[in-house]
Amino acid sequence: MPRRSLLDESENELEINLSPMIDCIFILLIFFIVTTVFVEEAGIQLNKPDSTVLSSEQESEDVSFTITANNKLLHEGQEIALAQVKEIVRNGLRGKDTPVSIKTSGKSRHGLLVAVWDRAKQAGAVKLSFNTVD
Amino acid sequence: MAYRRSIYAKEDETAEINLSPMIDCIFILLIFFIVTTVFVEKPDATIEKPLALTDSNLEKNSLILAITGDNRIIYGSREISLAGVSLHVKQNILKNEMPVIIQADVNADHNVFSKVWSECKRAGAKKISISTLKD
Repeated sequence: MPRRSLLDESENELEINLSPMIDCIFILLIFFIVTTVFVEEAGIQLNKPDSTVLSSEQESEDVSFTITANNKLLHEGQEIALAQVKEIVRNGLRGKDTPVSIKTSGKSRHGLLVAVWDRAKQAGAVKLSFNTVD
Repeated sequence: MAYRRSIYAKEDETAEINLSPMIDCIFILLIFFIVTTVFVEKPDATIEKPLALTDSNLEKNSLILAITGDNRIIYGSREISLAGVSLHVKQNILKNEMPVIIQADVNADHNVFSKVWSECKRAGAKKISISTLKD
């Protein structure tokens, strides 16, 4: 009989105290909540041709634009408006991989290149590239 | 008196809260946050991003560089030089193949952007994108 009472006692003490573990988990949880940043970036992939490809490709085939140092857009030597880019690219595309190149002056605004690039892409150009001229 | 006391004693015994469901919940939250956490250093600069209709969502785990309207190159919270660009790109590429995102201001000079782009390419970046305004 005294034996049973001893067993009962030991069973009672077998409960694990969970509160320190909960504390730890809470601290970890708060750390991860605080450090989480949800980076949501939208963008376009730009590419420059290799210098070897640039020299070998014939220039008559592709559609090319020039952005001058004072932020003017030229096509075949004539100044054009940004709205005309789509039409020119659409007319110039012979196949899916007709290259469209944008020669950009180093002093021009970055925003203009992106605007031209975006419009050419909207018109269906796939092989787009820019290169920088001083 | 004796009756009352016995009731109190019983209530005391049953007043323990069962914590296991709460622990389960916290564990699930914890695992969610561990899995979704990416440590990305966002540039600490105000950039006027260009608008583009043909943009797509970029990878979350990327190296982000910023070029401000007055042509300064920013990585994290500090300004870096052109030589610093390849250093940071190389470091991040050695660790894991990270794509590079260039957040260039609309008014930034194309020259600076072009140099940063070339520098990233030379350092071994496979995918270089520019950041655009989210619509």
